[in-house]
Amino acid sequence: MVESWQPDWPPSKLAGLDLAGLQRPLAEREDRLAAFDPRARLILAALLALTVVSLQTANAGLVALFAAGAIARLGGVSLRRLRYLLPLELLMLVLLLTLPFSVPGTLLLAVGPLVASREGGALALLILFKANAVVLILFGLVGSLGAGPAVHALARLGLPSKLCQLVLLTLRQIDLVGDEYARMRLAMRARAFVPQSNRHSWRALGWLSGMLLVRSLARARRVADAMRCRGFDGQRRLLWRFRWRRRDTLLLLGALPLLAGLLLLDRWGWSGWADWSG
Amino acid sequence: MAERGIAGPELELEPEAPEMNERATTIANDGLLVDLEGIGFGYGSTPLLSGLDLRIGRGERVALIGPNGAGKSTLLHLIVGLLRPSVGRIRVLGRDCRSEADFRVARAGVGLVFQQSDDQLFCPTVLDDVAFGPLNLGRSPAAAAAIAERTLAALGLEGYGERVTHRLSGGEKRLVALATVLAMEPQLLLLDEPIGGLDRASEARLLDHLCALPQAMLIVSHEQRVFERLGTRAVVLQDGRLLDAELHWHLHRHAHVHARGLGSPFHVGDGDIF
Amino acid sequence: MAHIPDGVLSAPVLISGALVSTGLLGLALRRLRETELPQAAVLASVFFVSSLVSVPLGPSSVHLLLNGLMGLLLGWAAVPAIFVALLLQAVFFGFGGLLVLGVNTLNLALPALLVARLLRSMLHRLAAPALGSELDPALGAPVPVKHAEHGLSAEVSSPRRQRRAFMLGSAAGILAVLLTGLMLAASLVLSGEAFWPAARVIAISFIPLALIEGLMTGIVVAFLLRVEPALLRLDEVRHG
Repeated sequence: MVESWQPDWPPSKLAGLDLAGLQRPLAEREDRLAAFDPRARLILAALLALTVVSLQTANAGLVALFAAGAIARLGGVSLRRLRYLLPLELLMLVLLLTLPFSVPGTLLLAVGPLVASREGGALALLILFKANAVVLILFGLVGSLGAGPAVHALARLGLPSKLCQLVLLTLRQIDLVGDEYARMRLAMRARAFVPQSNRHSWRALGWLSGMLLVRSLARARRVADAMRCRGFDGQRRLLWRFRWRRRDTLLLLGALPLLAGLLLLDRWGWSGWADWSG
Repeated sequence: MAERGIAGPELELEPEAPEMNERATTIANDGLLVDLEGIGFGYGSTPLLSGLDLRIGRGERVALIGPNGAGKSTLLHLIVGLLRPSVGRIRVLGRDCRSEADFRVARAGVGLVFQQSDDQLFCPTVLDDVAFGPLNLGRSPAAAAAIAERTLAALGLEGYGERVTHRLSGGEKRLVALATVLAMEPQLLLLDEPIGGLDRASEARLLDHLCALPQAMLIVSHEQRVFERLGTRAVVLQDGRLLDAELHWHLHRHAHVHARGLGSPFHVGDGDIF
Repeated sequence: MAHIPDGVLSAPVLISGALVSTGLLGLALRRLRETELPQAAVLASVFFVSSLVSVPLGPSSVHLLLNGLMGLLLGWAAVPAIFVALLLQAVFFGFGGLLVLGVNTLNLALPALLVARLLRSMLHRLAAPALGSELDPALGAPVPVKHAEHGLSAEVSSPRRQRRAFMLGSAAGILAVLLTGLMLAASLVLSGEAFWPAARVIAISFIPLALIEGLMTGIVVAFLLRVEPALLRLDEVRHG
């Protein structure tokens, strides 16, 4: 898997290391939400996530999933990006396979001694919809901003300055470390290295990580020195300026009744079939 | 430089017309180590190489010259399959290479020495690093260690086996990086800027060792001293294609040495120039 | 699988997770001096990149969590490093979610802190003589590099020390990952009885993960002891 050749550049892709999501905005199509202030997008994302997570019926969850899909589309998230969702679906599969059998309720189907319930199935579906919806919302509203603006917006929204500095510095270093890793991995491949499930490969990969740590620590010291030389006192001034406009306020105000409506429908609109409130 | 009079001769390269290529290639038609035909490659949508041909026969040491960003390193990576061309045919050691599996075989016979030794060296000790390649080729740990010891000795690095690679000097790292590739017993060496950043003493030591090697080589370098010592012919990478180069030695006192007049273009000894 | 997505856990679990990890994060950030930020960022980025590397295991491959190694090397600084990695992964890779960020951070950071508490002092002792040899006590000044190197290779690379470093690293990796698996399962079970079977499946799947993690962490720690023991005792170097 790691060794399969992919036509994309940068080299980190060639080494099976996918940092593309960080290196440029997730969006590959036009971000049609670009007109809004990143802070408004962040707040909206948090509100939406909060609403989605508190849904209790699979129907409402499905509505939320479609809405999240629409937001991701507006944000310009390409279908190709959705492969990031695969690990999530693995966990979802475990839940889909176990929950129907572990939630008591009306009979859906019986497999030998195991009895699946409607309620369990509905709960599994609800979780599936909610989990995917939140990720799509994050992709569409935050991921498509790109890492830099997103972190700056977080800083403006009150994330502690030290933490923001750490995130920004880490982002920059991930690029450097990722490239270094990719070059070393390429050189290993040039020496006929093929990762396999054996001691030789594990040792080589462990050494590779160790060497990355060693080289990076040396670089960290150089980075720190260089920053001190340029007058860094731990407080980095953030360069990005955002402009909150009326459309941002309207966006949030407009979203509130929609969210409230969804919650109301969730509680009272679809009573019966998939009601699960524990 | 001019004030120092006879400091360093400059190399002037004149690409020849493409039809002159025939001369060089017919010599080595038998047992070609590398045969590239019509290679095209680009990062993204901008083409870097197009319609590139290259043939390297046994015993040849080809100097690869070209401006920064012309795609010299890319070409080396294409030969061992770390990158794939968009069009064209790659034959390495007489086998057509298309899939990763083909290139895996090729990599055993073609050793790429990276521009940055640090990219290549990642093991705790020198011995581990030199044995890494032979282990990848399926040698037993004992056999790999023996090959590594032998390779180190051949490069005058006896006793370096237990040294920590990370703490070696730049010159030592370069030699060890060469050793890691030589330990795989390749028939062709691809050298990417072999002496870049080395001081004169380390450089001389490395060039001595390279000169003594029997392998064919493709050498990327900006340093004239390198092709002077190593090259049997030179090619220029320009506008995505390779052209045979004719070499003139320019001394600053306007002493021209026309390499061709001396039979083999690079038989210009050190003494003639310095 | 160490990332729980949104929509699974119950509100009490989410809220307690968020509160505890906010507290831990606050404590850790207070301990982290501003001039140390570049170093913390660089190490955090190495962990981030290394955790994206697929390590072959049987017919498949896995990604490492590395929280044991982070705890060993970073101590308290592991908490913000883990949080930053999870934040980036949630927003840009879709691993995990937004509201579960607190729980996910806790599930990875608490084992890291435990490892730091239990094993870090042993690691410091193991790496200590190696660093001492760079300074000649009689002269009170650094001895020439060649000497230092010989002193190092003689003392630190002794097979016994290497083995101890490997064992220590393995213990850290296994302990941290097993604990993470247990906490993950516990977060599920605390959110609803119905999650018992899923929690069991996940907990069991963490056993092979813990083994490979232990092996890899051991290899890395032994490597560092040999190549750069300073990395194994970052705090002491900093404060001393």
